[in-house]
Amino acid sequence: MKKNMIMVFLLTAAVWVFSAPPSLLAQSVRGVTDTEILIGQWGPQTGPAAPWGAVARGTGLLFKGINDEGGIHGRKIKYFLRDDAYQPVKTKAIGKEFVEQIGVFAVVGGVGSACGMTNRDYFMESKVVWVSPATGVYEWIRPFQKYLFAFYPLYDDEAYALTAFLYEKMGFKKLAIFYQNDDYGKQGLMGVERYMKEKNIELTAKITAEVTDRDLSTHALKLKNSDAAAVIMWVNPTHGALILGESAKIGYRPQWSTTNTLGDAPFMMGITKGLWAGMIHSHYGEYPDSKNPLMEKYRAWHQKYEPKERWGLNYYAGIMFAEPLVEGLRRAGRDLTVDSLVKAMETLSGWRGIGMPLTFTPTERQGGKHVFFAKVNADGSITKLSDWVKITK
Amino acid sequence: MLGQLIVSGLAVGFCYALLALAMVIIYKTSDVLNFAQGEMAMISSFMAFVFLESYQLSFPLALALTLLFAAALGALLEFVFLRPAKNPTVIGMIIITLGFEMILMGVAGWKWGPDQRNLPFPIPSFETYNFAGLVVSKINFWTIIVCLVLIALLFLFFQYSKLGTAMRATQQNRLVARLMGIRTKRIFSFTWALSSIIGAVSGMFIAALTVLDPPMMMDPLMKAFASAVLGGMTSLPGAAVGGTILGVVENLFGGYISLPFKSVVAFAVIVLMLCIRPSGLLGKHFVKKV
Repeated sequence: MKKNMIMVFLLTAAVWVFSAPPSLLAQSVRGVTDTEILIGQWGPQTGPAAPWGAVARGTGLLFKGINDEGGIHGRKIKYFLRDDAYQPVKTKAIGKEFVEQIGVFAVVGGVGSACGMTNRDYFMESKVVWVSPATGVYEWIRPFQKYLFAFYPLYDDEAYALTAFLYEKMGFKKLAIFYQNDDYGKQGLMGVERYMKEKNIELTAKITAEVTDRDLSTHALKLKNSDAAAVIMWVNPTHGALILGESAKIGYRPQWSTTNTLGDAPFMMGITKGLWAGMIHSHYGEYPDSKNPLMEKYRAWHQKYEPKERWGLNYYAGIMFAEPLVEGLRRAGRDLTVDSLVKAMETLSGWRGIGMPLTFTPTERQGGKHVFFAKVNADGSITKLSDWVKITK
Repeated sequence: MLGQLIVSGLAVGFCYALLALAMVIIYKTSDVLNFAQGEMAMISSFMAFVFLESYQLSFPLALALTLLFAAALGALLEFVFLRPAKNPTVIGMIIITLGFEMILMGVAGWKWGPDQRNLPFPIPSFETYNFAGLVVSKINFWTIIVCLVLIALLFLFFQYSKLGTAMRATQQNRLVARLMGIRTKRIFSFTWALSSIIGAVSGMFIAALTVLDPPMMMDPLMKAFASAVLGGMTSLPGAAVGGTILGVVENLFGGYISLPFKSVVAFAVIVLMLCIRPSGLLGKHFVKKV
């Protein structure tokens, strides 16, 4: 009997050991082998937020191009893209899979504040380096997280700067906000209200929408009745299109303005039947047709590897978010560890890929602090209205 | 503001009404709540988009082909998935429709991707009529008119046509209908086809009023369900009245009471109706003698 018990124990132990991924068996640094670096990202490939899923696919394009150029210090990037359908419960499970089953070295991007928050503490405890969560909320930098490097401009500061731009530079004195009823929308509202409070002025209306709402006729009517000359929007692309349509139907055409999240002007022009023309919004990176040499190179990769993907902001934002990680991996050298990557990331100072200038230090994890403002033309192109503006002190 | 709220409420309410009618027709025939109704309408709207955009067909031809497709899709669901079900219970049938809904959503995501699109529509989206100071967009106006006409035609069809009478007979007593020579299996297929056609019209209007994308019918389907419960799950006029009332009440609630809670009104209606009058405003409450 005792002999049998020992046999069962040994067999169970053997199954447990050999069922672990090979990458975990023979490596000292999780997710790093002699030939590979394992990196993960989630993104909604299905469900209502699926248009933002292009971000994770854009990152894949960058890694493909880098691998074809020989990788980084002799290692190829092995990329794991998982669909969380914008559901935090699924994101949490994906985070567990990344760490405990695949054993990734780092995580990049990741759409959704609530989705990302399900994994933030877990990644930090597991010493997973996470670069560029794809939203601009304070939760990434407060409290300070050693292994988390935020790229995205903070919504609060961006909204503050956009309101100031409309009020001071464009001369709009009656302002309203239309925002999504979640962390993303509320941090936009926070920035707008902060500015208004400082100037001791009142918003003419604060109109909110639920993510699932499809009928925005009442919202449009309330905005019209507020008589706002300019409306700031902090919503998703569908709501951006719907509110412009509903407002046009009742003859209300204020100056619309919005966050970089809705910065894919050609796409928005298409779904709004041209109503997007005249929109003022902030940007944190190059235009789609920019002549920047890096953009030329990435567009060539796009044609070579993924010509069926639409070359839009969401897609190449995936490249933008992963560039700082790639730069960090290059600077960390062949002797790659979590600590060497963190130290390398902290040397980025005013560094630019195709996005805004980035700076990280041992005490600063909000790398992106700049945007510029632009206006959408009738053909979907944009005209710059300002130079880079530093929005975060 | 009141007039404006009522007009836009009517436009969206009639779309709910059409979708609710589609659900009620099936429910009356087979006691099945078709949770795939929204996605069937979404797929049909995407087909309209393909006919109009990819094949550049004229709108009347594209519409005819779309309705044909919708009919085939409805009949297919009934013939391929529901009919072969062994000893089907109502719950089992509902789960089959839920599965079909997920399949359709997956197909749409795979085929057309997640991006929003514009459904080309013959009625201008942003031009308006002005009725004594009341600004009504042309698309809202014609949505109301077309839905009203369609609802009236449906009532005439059920009341006076031979096929409509056969459908009502099958709904009332399947066994007796069969004894009277009605081919009830065909009636079932036709019911699903007709329901899918009505849903497709509703879907096309919703796509024209909003945007076309795979999740476009999630919210309207819940509202249509609430409309059907409000009007009475077994009453065709009830579904039409329920949808119209819900559209207007939602807008008035959002306009005068609370915008954040506007979308909750539909669910409050479901709960209230089920507590106070489970058979709905116009539904008949059946009492079984034991």
